[in-house]
Amino acid sequence: MATQQGDSGTDGGSVRRRWEPRIERLKRGWDRYTEHRIGVVGLVILVVFTLWSIIPGVFAPHSTEWIAYIGEPPIESRLTAEQVRSLPHPPAFGDPFFAPLGTNANGNGILSLLIYSAKNAMYIGLAAGLLSSLVGVPLGLISGFYGDTWIDEAIQRFVDIMYGLPFLPFLIVLVAIRGITTTNIIIGIAVTSWLNNCITVRGETLSLKERSYVESAKVAGASDTRIIFRHIMPNVLPISFVFLAQDAAGAVIAQASLAYLGLADFTANSWGIMLENIKSQGYIFDAWWWLLPPGLALMLMAASFYFIGFSMEDVTNPQR
Amino acid sequence: MTRISGKYLAKRIVVSYLTLLVIMSLLFVLLRSMPGSFITSMISSGMTAEQIARIRETWGLNEPLWRQYLNFMINYQTGNFGRSPTYNTQVWDLMIRRMPRTLVLFGSTFIIGFIVGPLVGMYLGWWRGSRKDKSIFSTSLLLYSMPSFWISWLFIWVFNYELDLLPSAYMFTQFPEFQWTAFTVMRDVLYHIALPIMSLTFIGWVGSMLIMRPTMNQVTDEGYVFLARAKGLSERTVMVKHAARNALIPVATGAVVSLAFLIDGSVIVENVFNWPGMGQIIVSSVLNRDFPVAQATFFMLAVLVVVMRLLTDVIYTYLDPRIKFGEGE
Repeated sequence: MATQQGDSGTDGGSVRRRWEPRIERLKRGWDRYTEHRIGVVGLVILVVFTLWSIIPGVFAPHSTEWIAYIGEPPIESRLTAEQVRSLPHPPAFGDPFFAPLGTNANGNGILSLLIYSAKNAMYIGLAAGLLSSLVGVPLGLISGFYGDTWIDEAIQRFVDIMYGLPFLPFLIVLVAIRGITTTNIIIGIAVTSWLNNCITVRGETLSLKERSYVESAKVAGASDTRIIFRHIMPNVLPISFVFLAQDAAGAVIAQASLAYLGLADFTANSWGIMLENIKSQGYIFDAWWWLLPPGLALMLMAASFYFIGFSMEDVTNPQR
Repeated sequence: MTRISGKYLAKRIVVSYLTLLVIMSLLFVLLRSMPGSFITSMISSGMTAEQIARIRETWGLNEPLWRQYLNFMINYQTGNFGRSPTYNTQVWDLMIRRMPRTLVLFGSTFIIGFIVGPLVGMYLGWWRGSRKDKSIFSTSLLLYSMPSFWISWLFIWVFNYELDLLPSAYMFTQFPEFQWTAFTVMRDVLYHIALPIMSLTFIGWVGSMLIMRPTMNQVTDEGYVFLARAKGLSERTVMVKHAARNALIPVATGAVVSLAFLIDGSVIVENVFNWPGMGQIIVSSVLNRDFPVAQATFFMLAVLVVVMRLLTDVIYTYLDPRIKFGEGE
């Protein structure tokens, strides 16, 4: 609804003529986007986390196998009893070892774990967000386009049914059925979180399909599929992008909650698992350097998705 | 009074009921397809095949799956939830004991969230784009991004561990030194529920704010808002009496979505605070494959959501007289 119609390249002109207005529009959109400080902040946070997930080695002082006092593997010596007692060790800068955020009870550096875990959260957030959009947006489009027919009715009743199943417990069942792996967690989150996308896109589509350009496309003999995907979908993409961002944020938090409940792939590194470890090993109130960073990282990751999503919404909101 | 037609209402009730039936069937299939069964824990290696068969017989597992399904569906229609193998009581008793505790936690969070959220959303939407709006909005998004168990830990850390002000677990004092009277029980529960409610509302109010803010912003351009201003009403009156009331409508529909969000939150928070409610048993029953209890808790939550959806539809018509149901979309 935000993007103007009429530039869909129906005339089939030169590539340049087709793309120029789009690039122009992108530029305008970018200018409006950067007006929102939270959008820029979100983008910066996301870039940092992306870098963490692509090249963690550059940022992390140690590998995830590094152990305080001993160092990187291969591990030859063992910790003395006194050294074990000093774990989890508060932040130390060179004396007796270098760990800017301290260590956990096993002697692994918190900062390194934090940086190496970014990949997992990023992967789960983006994959689950994309998947649930891929389910929710087409279903919403179809449901809205065929509003008030049995197709719409069927999809809406299905949405009702899914709403009746509480998200987190349902997710636990799904993950329990298929086994606790990262992929299954992503699928589980996607299966349960496409509902809002579907309902919102349906609402948008219901109003969009009454517009004159859809009517004229119909008169011109365009097929339903063409109208839906060529004429209506470009207009609901901005709002579905907002929901993609929200789903990604929700997925990151949901994964952490699952880890808290003991349902996580414990061979992977993730912030949720770091928090689950501090709980199961009983250091919640004794090791703030272990408690705070993973939670803050989760919060910032989810918040950056929200920030970007809501700034996008503002950019695409024509009433301004 | 009757803006909603009886026919439409009847249709909605039938559809809600059918929705529940489908949810139950789905639940049956899903729970049964989890690996493992609840009798695994009852069987020890020394048992003979006959003993195992008898246990299976007692719990009705020898019957074919379709019979189990039929039994389940028919029993639930008559309110017979069966017996729990792990809690060793009637599931219905368990529900009756636990449901109020969850509803207390849940209801108070819901009410606080739905007072604070729309109020804040009203102010932010009215002055959208102002400095105040930007800073409060971004802060609330940060709150919304917190994992609920983590924020609960932080609250426990500050209010229990450091300041020793509020208890961090359970619903009652474990070994009380005071007499149990109605007053002390109330006070004790309030004392124990403070931290769970704080943790839940700290995050939960943002949901309704997020719905209120954009709709509030939209109504600022409406004709009746201009009219109200032109009449010389104060800015505050225009905002509260004329704009906010209309902006509340989407919040009412959004209530169901926030309800789902709250259920997740309370599942986690109940586990953190050892609050003996539904959220605690729904997780443990699934993990222990206690199907009778899992089915019943899912069922109760599903009933809650479905009934709320029905109610919001009805409330909707009273909030917005333009909407008439029963005449298509």
